[in-house]
Amino acid sequence: MNSRDIFRYSFQSIERSAGRTSLMLLAMAIGVAAVILLTGLGEAARRYVTNEFVSLGTNLVIVMPGKSETAGGAINASFTGSTRALTIEDAIATTRHANVVGVAPLVVGAATVQYSGLEREVPVYGATKDMLSIRKWRMAEGQFLSESDWTLATSICVIGSTVSEELFANSSPIGQWLRVGESRFRVIGVIGNTGTSMGVSTDEVVIVPVASAMTLFNTDSLFRLLVEANSRESIDSVRLFVSNTIKARHHGEEDVTVITQDAVLATFDDIFNVLTFAVAGIAAISLAVAGVLIMNVMLVAVSQRTAEVGLLKAVGAAPRQILAFFVAEAALLSLFGSLIGLGVGLAGSWIASRYFPSIDMRPPAWAVFAGVLVAIATGIAFGIIPAQRAAKLNPVEALAKAK
Amino acid sequence: MSQIELRNVQRIFSVGGEEVHALRDIDLKIGNGEYISLMGPSGSGKSTLLNLLGLLDRPSSGNYLLDGRDTTTLNDVEQAQARGGKIGFVFQSFHLVSRLTARENVELPLMLSGIPIAQRKSRVADLLAEMGLADRLDHRPDQLSGGQRQRVAIARATVTEPELILADEPTGNLDSKSGGEVIDILERLNANGKTLIVVTHDLDVGDRAHRKLKMVDGLLAKDLRSNAA
Ligand SMILES: Nc1ncnc2c1ncn2[C@@H]1O[C@H](COP(=O)(O)OP(=O)(O)O)[C@@H](O)[C@H]1O
Ligand SMILES: [Mg+2]
Repeated sequence: MNSRDIFRYSFQSIERSAGRTSLMLLAMAIGVAAVILLTGLGEAARRYVTNEFVSLGTNLVIVMPGKSETAGGAINASFTGSTRALTIEDAIATTRHANVVGVAPLVVGAATVQYSGLEREVPVYGATKDMLSIRKWRMAEGQFLSESDWTLATSICVIGSTVSEELFANSSPIGQWLRVGESRFRVIGVIGNTGTSMGVSTDEVVIVPVASAMTLFNTDSLFRLLVEANSRESIDSVRLFVSNTIKARHHGEEDVTVITQDAVLATFDDIFNVLTFAVAGIAAISLAVAGVLIMNVMLVAVSQRTAEVGLLKAVGAAPRQILAFFVAEAALLSLFGSLIGLGVGLAGSWIASRYFPSIDMRPPAWAVFAGVLVAIATGIAFGIIPAQRAAKLNPVEALAKAK
Repeated sequence: MSQIELRNVQRIFSVGGEEVHALRDIDLKIGNGEYISLMGPSGSGKSTLLNLLGLLDRPSSGNYLLDGRDTTTLNDVEQAQARGGKIGFVFQSFHLVSRLTARENVELPLMLSGIPIAQRKSRVADLLAEMGLADRLDHRPDQLSGGQRQRVAIARATVTEPELILADEPTGNLDSKSGGEVIDILERLNANGKTLIVVTHDLDVGDRAHRKLKMVDGLLAKDLRSNAA
């Protein structure tokens, strides 16, 4: 008897017993669809967070005032001691390296902005020219801050598009004077819509020269210093250079924290790997449940078909052949079930991506393959016990079980 | 050499700690091409004997020689092969697989013994035509009458051309007309040289055999040969 005969016989059996077949197909399909959807969700979360970080700019070395207690780049680590200022002069010093293509000192605060009777509370950034390219912002109108002496507090500003709409309605804000806190700034540009980055939308901010922001908020320290390296490979040397330069300027004291975006991303990657595997584990449990269900339904099938097994033995079937029929049946059921699950899972993630375009739920390829393979293996493994029971039946007793 | 030889065969079932002697010390020789009826009261051991002869069961003690070979030494696979090749079984309740068509039911023994599908198809179609079922090939058992079902079952029992045909009350579930047709077909097979053993309660059916065995309480009580063989 060849395998085509075995599968034909088993296929006839599943084709001609709709109730049992649909139950088993459903169980398998749910298991596989769960694997695909859950791992897709895990991947979506990972991609979302990674994208948020990449939108900060690439190849960045980030300097924060104060010394982090924990080495290795956690963002919200606690800082100790009295913080020495991270100054504009520190920032200027870090530009002197061949691999540094941009330096962006950043001061952050909030202020009330006012124009012809309308006012609004907005985040205010103190920045310089390079911030535009490092953060990959685009101008909607006018210009960004131009190259100039970073220590000069000039009275110009760039505003986000929402700020522009709310204060200037449909007229152009370029050239208009905006009151920010107690000072007046002339608007030279409007930033285009760039989406959110780390929860703050550039649409809602006002950007002034870094020295102006320090005056405005009465601070002598930068909030952050972003240094962009020219390539991924040079990040480490730039980090070392930045760290040594500032240490030298601070009389040999390591009183700033220097992290790389790479390190932060790697940390998040680890977290999401764990998350994805945990989710895959949950999905695997649903596959195991499907396997147990297959086993039980196959056991019922064997007892319902005892007389058939007896007959097969009476007309010459060896135990191995009976085993082959029932294992093939379990294999076919789990194959069809997992293909249905594959279809449902992929369709589900496609639909989710259509309704929530920001969430890319494409499942990772390994999860699709592993899901289907594990499903089929589970079906076969759990089909073996019922098949062995059938193969061991005594033919006389089995024939006596006829309805 | 006899086709079948039973030596001191016993079959003892244990039911709830008690022993039931279904067959006590049976000695029997059957030659090629014999036509035998096996009669006796219910519970006398007829089916048990037939199951042993059909290799569906093994004796508790004694020996069963089929074509000179001691079957008690055969393993599961060899037994299955002998069932598939040398023996055709016909049951009172037909035992057709209900989801398969007449053609597919008859094909089963050929499929199990590895005959290619093209050969199977033509052989099965010819055989069912001989049984008067040419227009019923693709009918399921529930679309056939009792007599037709038993003829499908006979086709299945004979499709591998076995030398020994065992029928356990083949007319028990049939009216007298279809029962007569079934007996006719079985006798035709015997006329073509097959050994035929029929268990029956019907005296008329039993009388037609050339050799009449009677069982009582697990023993062969009578063994009558008619001369008109
Ligand atoms: N599987 C079995 N287990 C226990 N007892 C059995 C079994 N098969 C048959 N018997 C007993 O063996 C005896 C002979 O049964 P059987 O051969 O079926 O009789 P018959 O076919 O002549 O009516 C009966 O007493 C029956 O109860
Ligand atoms: Mg009986």
